[in-house]
Amino acid sequence: MEIKMENLTKVFVAKDKSEVRAVDNVSLTIPSGKLIGLLGPSGCGKSTTLYLLAGLLRQNDGKIYFEEDEVSNTPPEKRGIGLVFQNYALYPHMTVRENILFPLQNLKVEAELAKQKTVEMARLVGLESMLDRKPKELSGGQQQRVAIARALVKTPRVLLLDEPLSNLDARLRLQTREEIKRIQRETQITTVFVTHDQEEAMSISDEIVVMKDGVIQQMGAPQDVYDDPSNLFVAKFLGNPQINVFDGVIKGKKIYINDMVVGKSKLPDGEVLIGIRPEGFIVDQEKKSPFKFNIDLVSTIGRDTTLIVDLPSESDNILDKKSFKAIVDAMLRIQSGDEIHFIVRPEKMFLFNMEGERLE
Amino acid sequence: MAEIFVENEKAYKRRRLISNIVTFGFLSLVAIGILIPFYWMILTSLKSIQEIESVPPILWLNFSDWKITNYTDLFLTVQSGERAGEPLFPFFTYMKNTVLISFLTTLGTIITTILAAFAFARLNFKGKDTLFAVLLATMMVPGEIFILTNFLTINQFGWYDILTQTYTEAVLAMTIPFMISVFYVFYLRQTFRKIPDELYFAAKVDGTSDFKYLLKIMIPIAMPTIVTIIILNSMGAWSAYIWPAMVTTQDKYRLVSNGLRGAFTDTTGRTDYGQQMAAATLVTVPLIILFFTFRKQIMRGVGRSGIKG
Amino acid sequence: MEKRNNLKAWLYLAPLLILMGIFIFYPLINAFYISILEEYRPLAPGGATATGYTLSNFARILNDELFWQAIKNTFVVAFISVPISILISLVIAVSLNSIPKLKALYQTVFFLPYVTNAIAIGMAFAFMFHKDYGLINLMLSWLGIDPVNWVGNVATWWAQMGALLVYTIWGGLAFKILVFTSGLQNIDKQYYDAAKIDSASKWTVFRRITVPLLSPFILYISITSMIGALKAYRTVIGLFGERLGAQQNSMITIVAYVYKYRSAYQDVSAISYAASAAIILFFITVVFSLIQGVVSRKRVHY
Repeated sequence: MEIKMENLTKVFVAKDKSEVRAVDNVSLTIPSGKLIGLLGPSGCGKSTTLYLLAGLLRQNDGKIYFEEDEVSNTPPEKRGIGLVFQNYALYPHMTVRENILFPLQNLKVEAELAKQKTVEMARLVGLESMLDRKPKELSGGQQQRVAIARALVKTPRVLLLDEPLSNLDARLRLQTREEIKRIQRETQITTVFVTHDQEEAMSISDEIVVMKDGVIQQMGAPQDVYDDPSNLFVAKFLGNPQINVFDGVIKGKKIYINDMVVGKSKLPDGEVLIGIRPEGFIVDQEKKSPFKFNIDLVSTIGRDTTLIVDLPSESDNILDKKSFKAIVDAMLRIQSGDEIHFIVRPEKMFLFNMEGERLE
Repeated sequence: MAEIFVENEKAYKRRRLISNIVTFGFLSLVAIGILIPFYWMILTSLKSIQEIESVPPILWLNFSDWKITNYTDLFLTVQSGERAGEPLFPFFTYMKNTVLISFLTTLGTIITTILAAFAFARLNFKGKDTLFAVLLATMMVPGEIFILTNFLTINQFGWYDILTQTYTEAVLAMTIPFMISVFYVFYLRQTFRKIPDELYFAAKVDGTSDFKYLLKIMIPIAMPTIVTIIILNSMGAWSAYIWPAMVTTQDKYRLVSNGLRGAFTDTTGRTDYGQQMAAATLVTVPLIILFFTFRKQIMRGVGRSGIKG
Repeated sequence: MEKRNNLKAWLYLAPLLILMGIFIFYPLINAFYISILEEYRPLAPGGATATGYTLSNFARILNDELFWQAIKNTFVVAFISVPISILISLVIAVSLNSIPKLKALYQTVFFLPYVTNAIAIGMAFAFMFHKDYGLINLMLSWLGIDPVNWVGNVATWWAQMGALLVYTIWGGLAFKILVFTSGLQNIDKQYYDAAKIDSASKWTVFRRITVPLLSPFILYISITSMIGALKAYRTVIGLFGERLGAQQNSMITIVAYVYKYRSAYQDVSAISYAASAAIILFFITVVFSLIQGVVSRKRVHY
């Protein structure tokens, strides 16, 4: 089912009467059957957006459509959605079976059918043998799967997941996110998934939506957004290690960092911010490139070597020191102190104006 | 597949409004039910006998029609009988007694409670858990069981003699047995236990004695709880009824609750409702004032007593 | 270190323990002792006298119609007022929890009965229930119901009991509402959000989420108010005075029965009868606590 948000706005009023626009005039269309990752730092409005979709919060302005139906005024219990809470919110006094059965009972599904569906759903999430346990007798990962089963059992038209992996340990997180992807593929249900972890979002989403301060920054397939960020915030938020940002200038169609030419540009002369992904650096074996540095720190993990270079700074304050990271082939056997000439891949370099807006 | 229910803005607002009206309506109805007895009490106390005995009853009195004679009559001197020479309802004597008893009982209770709570929270001694369990178990025992023997004990102490009981003896009899509260020991111990051990160890390193630590560190930190205990305990004397009636030999030693019932019935068995309600109002008002002054502490203290169970 | 602490601890406990020894532990044991004394006269001139040991005090109580009247009255008060007041206060607490404004104001009003004098308000209730001049009958007349003689000399047993129940429930709401509202605040709001997502109706939420999650509080309240109701006394005094009913002793309760003997301690065995009745009351409360303890182990864990 396609979800459409039109100029959605949610304002929270704090005790001191100050207002926070948690979601600010958001318009967004979520295509049917896709898994969408809502991504952003904490406080960016992604969870609020999810709760607005669920109907647990009420928008101050704007509209929400499920296909053709406007649901802006529909209470959550009548929106036909499934929601997995960050802390799962499993009813502590009910067994796994009762938890999964609960929505069906509320929808007056015939008892025999409901029973059957519950078992089916438990099988889908691999918890058939745990049906008669209470939530506190389950591990975090199992509780998570019960929450998913409870959300899915009523065959909702939309599945909403609020930071579903944040309470799991690292190993389980990898495993569960594959599981979510699998279940979403099998059920073909339109899924919106909120996270602050860019890697998580990029690895399982069909499309990601990056938010900041209640405003959508960019939407698109994960790799497209990574390769073509629309502003410095998105460029910085995606990718680990983070993108390197340099102060640069454009003079006569050439791009300079610290008076060294790193590329060409058709932009007019002026100061710019230059973002270069760590994997955008190529070591110039012939040492012809003018973009050269002495390497301060080298760390090699497997086939990659990370080079860390401290940039020259006028201040002695350690906090003012800037550095950048480059990831190169470990086979090059670079050591700290080496002088390295870099060539920058043009497709890994993005130019921004001083406000962080993308140029070109 | 789950149905989707579509509602427009107007219907949504109407549904919210109806739900609010139902909830507020229900709560307001209950609130009125709670307040009616107070209203009826005060209203009746301001009526004349004719107004009180009018059928159907009068539900509202304009300010200009208020009569304070029921109140002033309470202080008229009784002309004959065993209470000749005393006011009809010796409110101020009762109040004085009640405040005194309340003060002494609370003072005693707070001292025994603080010391015992300190021992249970801070000190290690043999049989601590057993003793604490035994004390808690006594809370289950109906107080009526103790009262029988306590009355005899008071007699043994010579505090109750029909002919010679003095005011001091009456006060002792009414206060000493009530300077105990296992419940408050339990309550205060919880608060004491929240004070981090580090403070204690730091004080020990500085050479502070246990008693000084209790006085200078624990009591100030636990002050909100102690204040709550003081307030709740003080209110107890207003409700005390049976014990004061048992261990005092004269009306003038008794407390407010005792004076209320039994009085205001004339020789023909007719009750003077106006005076009765005036007396009830006089007794209720100080409590209500106390409640509104310490509303937060009282409600917090009573509420917490529920959470623990 | 341990040893020194031992002595010190007992010093700190001494004031409480000495008082408890005299006024709690000794009387508790002594009550049992008194109850089996034959022809006990504690206040006899020249010292207490008794002729031996006997169980006849209990027998006399159990053969006393008035005692069974007291048992009946007490149980009716307890078994009717406790469930009703728990249900009402649950609904009130849930409603209170759902309103956005004025919560503190309502809470304050609902708490008022807790801080008032049971006798004074009991008298106000008695007058409200007055057949001719009372408010209750006036309100009933608005509904077309004929006046009822609630507390007058010829009032029926059920009419008196009705008045007593109304007063008992009124007086018992405050504490329960307060405990339930603080209990509700301890429930994670997410369960309610989850229930909405799970399409639960308000009634389902109340029955299947609120009540189970509140069950430790409900259990606590039922134990304490059951024990409280079994000790009903001041409500009766407030409503009916020392006559303990519209007719002499018609609303007598177990505690009132115990106190009935208090002016007769000079008499032979009077205090022993009182002790026997008090001990029976004690065992009744113990039985209730045990029953509820078993229930809690079965139903109140999650």
